[in-house]
Amino acid sequence: MLSFVFRRLAVAVPTLLILVVLSFVLMYAAPGGPFNSERPLPPEVLANIEAKYGLDQPFWKQIVNYVVSVVTQFDFGPSFQYKDRSVNDVIAQGFPVTLTYGFWSFVVAVTVGVSLGVAAAIKQNSWVDYFAVGVSIGAQVLPNFVMAPLLLLVFTLWLGWLPGGGWNGGQWQFLIMPVIALSTSYMASIARITRSSMLEVLNTNFIRTARAKGLPMRRVIWKHAMKPTMLPVLSYLGPAFVGMITGSVIIDVFFSTGGIGQFFVNSAFNRDYSVIMGITILVGTLTILFNLLVDILYAWIDPKIRY
Amino acid sequence: MTLKSRLFVTTAAVLFATSGVVFADAHATHPVTGEALASDQTFTYRVGDESPSIDPGLVEDVDGAAVVRDLFEGLYNQDAAGNLVPGVALSHEVSDDGLVYTFTLRDNAMWSNGDTVTAGDFVYAWQRAASPALASPYSWYIELMSIENGAAVIAGDMEPSALGVTAIDDTTLEVRLSQPLPYFPQMLTHGTTFPVHQATVEEFGNDWVLPENMVSNGAYVLTEFVPQERLVRERNPMYWDNDNTIIERVVKLVVPDENVALTRYLAGELDLTDVPAGQFPRLSEQYPDQAVSVPMACSYYYMFNLRDGASPEIQDPNVRKALSLAIDRDIIVNNVLAGGQKAAYTFTHWATAGFETPDIPMATMTQAERNAMAVELLTEAGYGSDNPLSIDLVYNTNDSHRSVAIAISQMWKQTLGVDTTLANQEWQTFLEARSNGDFEVARGGWCADYNEASTFLDLMQSESGYNDSKYVNPEVDALLAEAKTSANPQANYDRVEEFIAQDTPIIPIYHYAAVDMFAENLEGWPYENFEQTWYSKDLYKIAE
Repeated sequence: MLSFVFRRLAVAVPTLLILVVLSFVLMYAAPGGPFNSERPLPPEVLANIEAKYGLDQPFWKQIVNYVVSVVTQFDFGPSFQYKDRSVNDVIAQGFPVTLTYGFWSFVVAVTVGVSLGVAAAIKQNSWVDYFAVGVSIGAQVLPNFVMAPLLLLVFTLWLGWLPGGGWNGGQWQFLIMPVIALSTSYMASIARITRSSMLEVLNTNFIRTARAKGLPMRRVIWKHAMKPTMLPVLSYLGPAFVGMITGSVIIDVFFSTGGIGQFFVNSAFNRDYSVIMGITILVGTLTILFNLLVDILYAWIDPKIRY
Repeated sequence: MTLKSRLFVTTAAVLFATSGVVFADAHATHPVTGEALASDQTFTYRVGDESPSIDPGLVEDVDGAAVVRDLFEGLYNQDAAGNLVPGVALSHEVSDDGLVYTFTLRDNAMWSNGDTVTAGDFVYAWQRAASPALASPYSWYIELMSIENGAAVIAGDMEPSALGVTAIDDTTLEVRLSQPLPYFPQMLTHGTTFPVHQATVEEFGNDWVLPENMVSNGAYVLTEFVPQERLVRERNPMYWDNDNTIIERVVKLVVPDENVALTRYLAGELDLTDVPAGQFPRLSEQYPDQAVSVPMACSYYYMFNLRDGASPEIQDPNVRKALSLAIDRDIIVNNVLAGGQKAAYTFTHWATAGFETPDIPMATMTQAERNAMAVELLTEAGYGSDNPLSIDLVYNTNDSHRSVAIAISQMWKQTLGVDTTLANQEWQTFLEARSNGDFEVARGGWCADYNEASTFLDLMQSESGYNDSKYVNPEVDALLAEAKTSANPQANYDRVEEFIAQDTPIIPIYHYAAVDMFAENLEGWPYENFEQTWYSKDLYKIAE
């Protein structure tokens, strides 16, 4: 097991390096640059700025300098767009915001999704099942860019219960709508996967055996059926968790949370090279880590899996 | 000095107003108008994106400039009509040759930490703004102001200390120009010219703009700054005119989506937001007191690519003029945009100070006459139903630009039988294509840097870095050069506009208007100020 983890981590390093180089090349290949604007800068002003940010160096040197400063000093450089901030500042400010509402969305999505799925499977073809399936289909077809304005309309404009956006240090009132908007579609997927997985597990031989030897249904579900049911759910949760904590761009744009998604989109439009790189590396690292975590959990849940 | 006398009068008015305040309850009624004031004097407004910087030396966007104007104060401010009123400077004298400006500063201007604002603070700030070490994208502003040695300092050929600005003593600032510039004082209300606190900047480096470090001299101090979320400023008790400040707290919220912002405005969370494109007619009917359209110092136009090697069809001025004539601008402004914009036949915005829109023949014709003339010109040029002209039109991705482009391509099709291929490009791609000359017809928008016609017309200069058409006309260059130092350049501007109408390097389409929703109880907004230069210290909220 340990050697598996080490092997995976060893592969992660070149993967990240490839990611860095690829993003760097793609970014520079895109037309435009961080200092282009409607009114082009006079050449001598542009030269000063390029010298300040090291953009006057040859391409290979820029990429080497970048990788070296990231690896040795964990320094992602200054933001080209937000001249008062470094990329580390941007991430330090935006990531905790996204992490907070992403974490709560994850908790809500998993709790509600798994409960709905299990309930639907146990009471298959009853009103509970229809209700749960109905809810999850409803949640699935309402993507967050539809959910968000709907929530805003109802809770902010009509009822006046919740603030229409902002973060304000993360007070709970500001969390509710982003969490609902972000979690619904994940919740729906989790509910559907759980339901079909549970149905399949309930029809297997070992469950029939457990019931035949007279175990109460509650015990059969929790002790025997739950773990194998969660396998396909888990493989979905890894990427879903990364998706949620690295933020949905739509949530950030709609609720102006100041999360990392907003910076990510803007950096792409503004060609803010260093911010694009910083956030890409952050998301890449998290994706690799959580996929690894899911693989480890797999082995723990399913004794048949050994690495 | 007419300016000086005007400054004196305004100073007197301010002093007079101040004296009344001392005895009144500062927050019960407005000192001048006597209106009852709301108990909560918090002004909350929306911006679409975070500003690149709020450092006076680095600030480059309109929203950032508004923040800087609240936090810092330069030599002069603008009043509600856009006239200069004293800021840190009380008045100035100009040498006979127009090259040396000597400013007298007030002695009661303070930094928020209690230090006195001195002429030396301005010298430091201007040298810093020009220095290659700061590498400010707005350093060209120092050059634009024609300050002696500005260009050489920016290029790194001279030390920043060589810049033509000197502190004679703590309250006397001398500025030397390389050429006379009649509108030089007007340029001093921009953030680039505002002072910064040297000790703070040197101690904290880039971090000096954080709320815990910043020392500022404006009517407000920075108390909270969360990029992409909010920026809060609160009144500065050390500000020399603090007694007349009414708004206690100013909150800038970043709300990228203008429809979300409108919802939040209607829910009472915002006092000021933009009206989303196309919604002005509905909102002005529903909320007549709140939806406001005022002229905004920008012109919208299409440019032709006149470079050697560009498509030969559009090198014919008659073809270009025909395309211009066939655009029914009234439909664009009244039906497509419907936000109080005005049809444009001149490049210079109609509301620009001291500019009288010249009589361009096209402007007084009916659209039927224009269309007839357009058909005639295009037929002369050899195009018709058997040989239709085809045009590529490119604009940056945006709903409003698309609507305008579709409407215009339809007008060209119906009137002239021209086939237009529309293409939209992502902003950065678009800018690069346009500056590389990789287009036939491209959309353009230009906003005034200062309130004078040359800010628009200088784009027509052959050497201008902003002349993306690459229009070259030595007569235009001569007229513009002469206008720079002329006491009354209107005649030159008229001629340049006539050349634009005749040669049609660009097609002026409309002059912008700013359409906003203002909370009913918000007063003091400078609607008359063409550049929309507003100061939170001039605003107040009345009791409902």
